[in-house]
Amino acid sequence: MPKCTINGQAIEVDRGVTVIQAAAELGFDVPHFCYHPALSVPANCRMCLIEIEPPPGRPPMKLQPACYTQVAEGMVVQTESERVLQARRAVLEFILVNHPVDCPICDQAGECKLQDYYMDYDAQASRVRTSKVSKAKVLPLGPEVVYDGERCILCTRCVRFCDEVTGTSELTVTERGDRSEIRTFAGRELDNAYSLCTVDLCPVGALTSRDFRFKCRVWLLTSTDSICTGCSRGCSIHLEHHRNEIQRYRPRFNPEINEYWMCDAGRHTYNEVHRDRVQAPAVGGQALTWPRAYEQTAARLKAAVEAHGADATAFVFSPQAACEDLYAARGFAEGALGATRHYVGGRPEGAGDDFLITPDKNPNRNGLLVMFPRDRRPAPFQRLLADLEAGEIKVLYMMGSEIPLDGEERARFLAAVAKVDLFVLQAPRQDELGPLAHVLLPAATHAEKEGTYVNCDGIAQQTRQGLQPIGGALPEWQVFVQLARRLEKPLAYSFVKQLRDEMFKVMEENSAAAAS
Amino acid sequence: MPAKTLVMERGKRSFWVQSYLPEVANGLAVTLKHLVRFITRQEESVFTINYPEEKRQYPERYRGLHRLMVREDGQVRCVACMCCSTICPANCIHIVAAEHDDASIEKYPRIFVIDELRCIVCGLCVEACPCDAIRMDSGVHCHSFTDRTTAFLNRDLLMNLGTYSAAKQGGERSF
Repeated sequence: MPKCTINGQAIEVDRGVTVIQAAAELGFDVPHFCYHPALSVPANCRMCLIEIEPPPGRPPMKLQPACYTQVAEGMVVQTESERVLQARRAVLEFILVNHPVDCPICDQAGECKLQDYYMDYDAQASRVRTSKVSKAKVLPLGPEVVYDGERCILCTRCVRFCDEVTGTSELTVTERGDRSEIRTFAGRELDNAYSLCTVDLCPVGALTSRDFRFKCRVWLLTSTDSICTGCSRGCSIHLEHHRNEIQRYRPRFNPEINEYWMCDAGRHTYNEVHRDRVQAPAVGGQALTWPRAYEQTAARLKAAVEAHGADATAFVFSPQAACEDLYAARGFAEGALGATRHYVGGRPEGAGDDFLITPDKNPNRNGLLVMFPRDRRPAPFQRLLADLEAGEIKVLYMMGSEIPLDGEERARFLAAVAKVDLFVLQAPRQDELGPLAHVLLPAATHAEKEGTYVNCDGIAQQTRQGLQPIGGALPEWQVFVQLARRLEKPLAYSFVKQLRDEMFKVMEENSAAAAS
Repeated sequence: MPAKTLVMERGKRSFWVQSYLPEVANGLAVTLKHLVRFITRQEESVFTINYPEEKRQYPERYRGLHRLMVREDGQVRCVACMCCSTICPANCIHIVAAEHDDASIEKYPRIFVIDELRCIVCGLCVEACPCDAIRMDSGVHCHSFTDRTTAFLNRDLLMNLGTYSAAKQGGERSF
């Protein structure tokens, strides 16, 4: 294994490791545009030039790109020497020759590497006295991405992403020299399912997202670690919000799940957080405060269950909810409510692919399954439809307004729900079920609470609270704790930590039993 | 317990003090003195200005009501970069950006509202503006408001005060 010295610090690395990676390991950040750890290395931006000291008695060597040069035995590297800084300054001046410097209207301003490096290494006035080359402005490359040729520094990260990661190869570089621009091949557009990753990859503002364009300046955003709830992959994301409104999702590096990427459809799911929200608890169509709502809901549930019996009481668990909510829901359904019929709701299945997108559009199905011992897992939703139509269910408590049925079955379900004696819906959104509910309780989405989600590969992730709850929404587990107390069969916990301790124990037991 | 009492002796006042007449005469003498001084303009230190017919000369950098400058064709210069609303310590500038139909403009403020009641007249917005789009050199006083909503000056109102500015981005200001 080769040993080298970077800025006076010795390091031993595996064969084939490049200088930029070795320097990063030592904590030296070598500035770069075209290099990206997940893509091939073209070494075209020349920003990462570093100085390698020549063998004794030899003249100084040409500067080498750190992203392309592999560490060799005995190499002595300087990443911040006078020659290197001079070269960086020159490279930045060269890149900025035709750059429009329209930072005030550029969406990248604030998270732009060209801006950052200019401030760090260049910081000189332009010496160019000729006019700049004008290129394409606001050119849509596809349904999601807009291209600005003048801002582009031709690092080709986007081209390599489409070649190497998605394998769709829509993009290429046309023309030569200072006329070069990124274009789609004739008759094609950048419309793959991951096209917005090119916007994240773009180190400058050449590629911008049509959805996020001009919506919010990035320095106003607050970023919260969260996950995408668009499918059961549960990609790690930065949930970025301003004034209690989500502005965008951005993938968060997670080598076990999504690496640097996420799909376009997932990025748009933030709209769901703000769509059609239940604003306040309502019983019988009348909006109430939470304490009143707890009392009246508990009274109604008690009366209904007593009248029809536990066997006519059904509880629908939602794979959209977090593990904490589901654990409290199970305790509530089995103990306080005494419902004997358990079902699984959630969104209907959709299309998947062989990269990140999974057909199951629910982020926590595995979390739901592992909450129950194998023989007591809730029944599928089709069974609920059959039981409803057979008139066996009189009381229905449902988490989430999603219905995993399509077309004619969906209509049949809605008709059947309208006939039950008591329908309690606890959901973030109204959808079709909201108007049918006798009791409607607002629930917090993943953006407004802390929660644990188990993805399709059984990896559990925790989300952080980003937004203040919208309307009167509460985390669902809190509602179950309160309702159970009103039904005089309280749950054994009242804080999330107590709940989690118990929950993880149960989840571990169940998954161990399922594995054996 | 009975409260402690302290009996204050009132000073004896003479007849002339009791009658107030000498003091009235004294006061009138001061008034008369100033009247004579002002009428005859003996000194330069006469402060009274016949407002509103006569107006005080403001210093050159007096910060009046905001105004939005315009381009050659009358379009708003502002490109909705949000620098002013970001720097504003009173949080009184509200901007919603949008894409312009004119390809040469790209970004413009669809909504630009300044809450003049919240504004603390610090002038940071003017300093932050990279395009010479917002200025506070109108010399116009803030109106008096009877209704809070009339203090929200929108883009078109602010542009009415504005004039043409030919400033180049990053260049010298031209007036």
